[in-house]
Amino acid sequence: MTSPSGSGTREDWPVDLGLTPAEEELDMSRRNLLRGLGLAGIAAAAGTLGLISYRDEAEAATVAGAGGASGEEHQWCRVVDLRACKGERKCVSACQVRHGLSPDQTWMRTLSWHDEAGNEFFMPVMCQMCQDPPCLKVCPVSATTKSDQGVILVDQDICIGSRACMAACPYEARYFNWSEPTPTHKMPAPSPNTPEFPSNQLGTVGKCVLCADRIPYSSDLPACVEACPRGAHFIGDLVTDVAVNGQSTVRLSTFLREGNAVRFKEELGTNPRCYYIPGNGQPVGGPLVGVK
Amino acid sequence: MSSILDARPASGQADVVDAVMRPFRRPSARFWLAIAMLAVVVGVGIGAWVYQLREGMGVAGYTDSSFWSIYIADVVAVIGVSYGGAVVSAILLLTGASWRAPLVRMSEGAALVTVIVGALFVIPHLGRPDRLLGMITSANVASPVFWDMMAIVTYTFATLVFFLLPLVPDTAILLSARPEELGRGRRLLFHVISRGWVGSAHQRRVLHSAMVIVAIVIIPLAVSVHSVLAWAFALVSRPGWHESIWAPYFVIAALYSGVALVILVIAGFRRGYHLEAFIGRQHFVRLGYIMVALGAVYVYLTLADLLPSAYVGEAGPTEIIYGMLQGAVAGWFWLFLVAGTILPIVLIALPWTRNIWGVVIAAVLVVIGMWIKRVIMIVETSGYDTLAKSFDELFHFTWVSIAVTLGGVAAIPLMLMLLFRVVPLMSVAEVQEVLAEADDTAAEPSHPGAQSRGRAVGAAGAVVLLMLTLGALGVTEAQPAYAASEGVAATDPAADATVAVTAAEDGPSITVTATVTSGGSPVEGALVNFYESTTMFAPGDNEVPLGAVQTDSSGSAVVTYVAATTGPRTVSASYRPTILGDPVVGTAELEVTESVSTYAPPPTSTLEGAGKTLTTATFGLVIIVFLILIAQVVRVRRACRPASDGTPEQALTS
Repeated sequence: MTSPSGSGTREDWPVDLGLTPAEEELDMSRRNLLRGLGLAGIAAAAGTLGLISYRDEAEAATVAGAGGASGEEHQWCRVVDLRACKGERKCVSACQVRHGLSPDQTWMRTLSWHDEAGNEFFMPVMCQMCQDPPCLKVCPVSATTKSDQGVILVDQDICIGSRACMAACPYEARYFNWSEPTPTHKMPAPSPNTPEFPSNQLGTVGKCVLCADRIPYSSDLPACVEACPRGAHFIGDLVTDVAVNGQSTVRLSTFLREGNAVRFKEELGTNPRCYYIPGNGQPVGGPLVGVK
Repeated sequence: MSSILDARPASGQADVVDAVMRPFRRPSARFWLAIAMLAVVVGVGIGAWVYQLREGMGVAGYTDSSFWSIYIADVVAVIGVSYGGAVVSAILLLTGASWRAPLVRMSEGAALVTVIVGALFVIPHLGRPDRLLGMITSANVASPVFWDMMAIVTYTFATLVFFLLPLVPDTAILLSARPEELGRGRRLLFHVISRGWVGSAHQRRVLHSAMVIVAIVIIPLAVSVHSVLAWAFALVSRPGWHESIWAPYFVIAALYSGVALVILVIAGFRRGYHLEAFIGRQHFVRLGYIMVALGAVYVYLTLADLLPSAYVGEAGPTEIIYGMLQGAVAGWFWLFLVAGTILPIVLIALPWTRNIWGVVIAAVLVVIGMWIKRVIMIVETSGYDTLAKSFDELFHFTWVSIAVTLGGVAAIPLMLMLLFRVVPLMSVAEVQEVLAEADDTAAEPSHPGAQSRGRAVGAAGAVVLLMLTLGALGVTEAQPAYAASEGVAATDPAADATVAVTAAEDGPSITVTATVTSGGSPVEGALVNFYESTTMFAPGDNEVPLGAVQTDSSGSAVVTYVAATTGPRTVSASYRPTILGDPVVGTAELEVTESVSTYAPPPTSTLEGAGKTLTTATFGLVIIVFLILIAQVVRVRRACRPASDGTPEQALTS
């Protein structure tokens, strides 16, 4: 078992330090008592400020390995062209292979359903890389971070497995390691185990990382993008306004506009960074009635 | 209402001291047997947890579709019952109900023990409990779980103060009355706690005022604990959890089950230590009245929780409510409603069952029924897939989760029995006070109280499942329009066609002009595709399409666009003289100095500032609460000080 990382650089919990002198002086003179209480109050107040800054740290955490590029240079997003998706689920298996996932863990999953007329629809769903991620807010230990290039990642070495993020995610995009990942499901060696390329650990939460270890995607695209034979998956950059699916390159803003792109569960205010291009007549946002 | 205490001023006083001394004597074989059995159950629970730690939470029945279930339900249910102590002690103290006197110590002890056990249930709930310290070292103050921890810690501290302060006079009384019977360990402890207490009017006044202040503080603290616990669920957008009523709903649930626990604890100790002279049928009936009143409120809130969503008919909440009424968890829901609310109300409403047995049975039903309700509330929503809009496989109990839960439950009576081997189980000073004032209403003879331990937690069968079946794979051959492949075969290209490209920057917009000629003369109506090179997504030159324009009579086509980035690039125009032939491409180099990206960061939430202010203010509030509580301890210690000058030993009451 490992101890929580990062504790060395942070301030120790100051309230304990403050309370102890206060307690020791309980039996001394009143002046000492009051002084002790005052110290406790000051220490607690300092602790308050320290803790509030933790939150800012969590928000401002940056992803290393992007070649030092800042958020002004790239803002990654993805586009799923539902007109092209035929439910082959090659993206799903490519993702599972690359990240060493067990069969029940589908960081990328493809919903499928029929309408009344019998038409079948498909919709790949994965982490939507929300810019106001509900999962980030609820994490009690700031294990979920947002990079300044807009990628949401989980630090497997900090996660305490509270699964608050699984509850908070409106896209059901998070998966928990309920049992020890078997050796065949471990990462292809050598596993760097960074938030960008996490190795699966018992008792922690994983999700789509947008193959962030491949940022800025100049030689390799995310596994799902490369795997789709129909070019349904795009990786894009909002700043340079370019998106590719491994087969062709598009001007992102034009592509989204002309395709009437929409975002999933827009009404929740999560500002997802995943755009869906409908076009087969399917309702956006998945099936309207339960898939049984 | 008159006190039902057996008021015999002379002998009554002796009775209280005698009664609280009973647990300090050599315990009976039955006591040790009970301790041993409870310890075995606790041990099995810890063993099961260790096994779960090694094998992963899967062995406890958890899956991705039941990511929260039994352990968090245990947290809510066990911390919930600790609220009973706050009701009986704090609310009844503030309302001046003197009949509470013999109950306060036991109910406060139960509150203290259950809040500790409830908080410990968080440990099996976590996937990586070894990193628990991260809750402090890398805390996220925006997380409701963080505030769960803060609320529980503050409430536990307040409960501890509330438990310890009245021990000061009690231990002093016992030290002076029966010093020889206490034994060395207790004598030492009681000396430490009661040092300086002489029972003067000033000391009693200070203690009472401190207790009133702690009681005033502890009620909103208890409300905060159960509210924040509810918000761990209500602050996510899942159907069934995302309900504004959940915070008060949890508070009432806690009060309801908390009074039930107090009834059970009192019944157990009353029987075990023969406290019938102090605790009679009326105590149980009054607590029963409080319990059923809260139960009625809980039924009302249940209706208020379900009706609005059911009426509007949104898909998610409708499925959840259907699941409770007729679907997957209907059996459990109706069991809760009948056994957990209606039966207890009937038992206490009917005069024939309004006795100690009836009240105790009602309390057992309430405690179990409310645990079931918490499990339903958590498991059902957890199993609802908000994308497929249907239920995945719901949680099913395994021996591991049941063993851990039973272990925690058994720890409550175990810790209480041991606790009252150390501290008096009734508030001697308060009972004496009440006795002194009491009128002479005789205590009623009563039935022996029901043995309340061994709450069986039913592990009956797996819940009904709804399987998500994925549709069959469809195969069609259509390719998206943009994926059209490049020309395959080159047959007889118009070799003399040329494309000349010029590009000019005018502010942020760039005008690209292509002139198509064939054999020296301009080509009209030729479709020209324009591209801009990018360094994105490819090591070489990757081309972003800018659009296609037909040439005019002079053979030129023009496209104007706004560059997203600055820097050098190549713009190109391509033209296919024949449909299958190779394209003819012309290029121009360009240095873009001005650009406008279409990207704009999402607007910040209008409530973001409010959130930070709330966080800071709440921290301030927590500090104030701690200072108030510490100040009460200090006040009582100071009131004790003049009598014990010259004894500089260290003594803490908290």
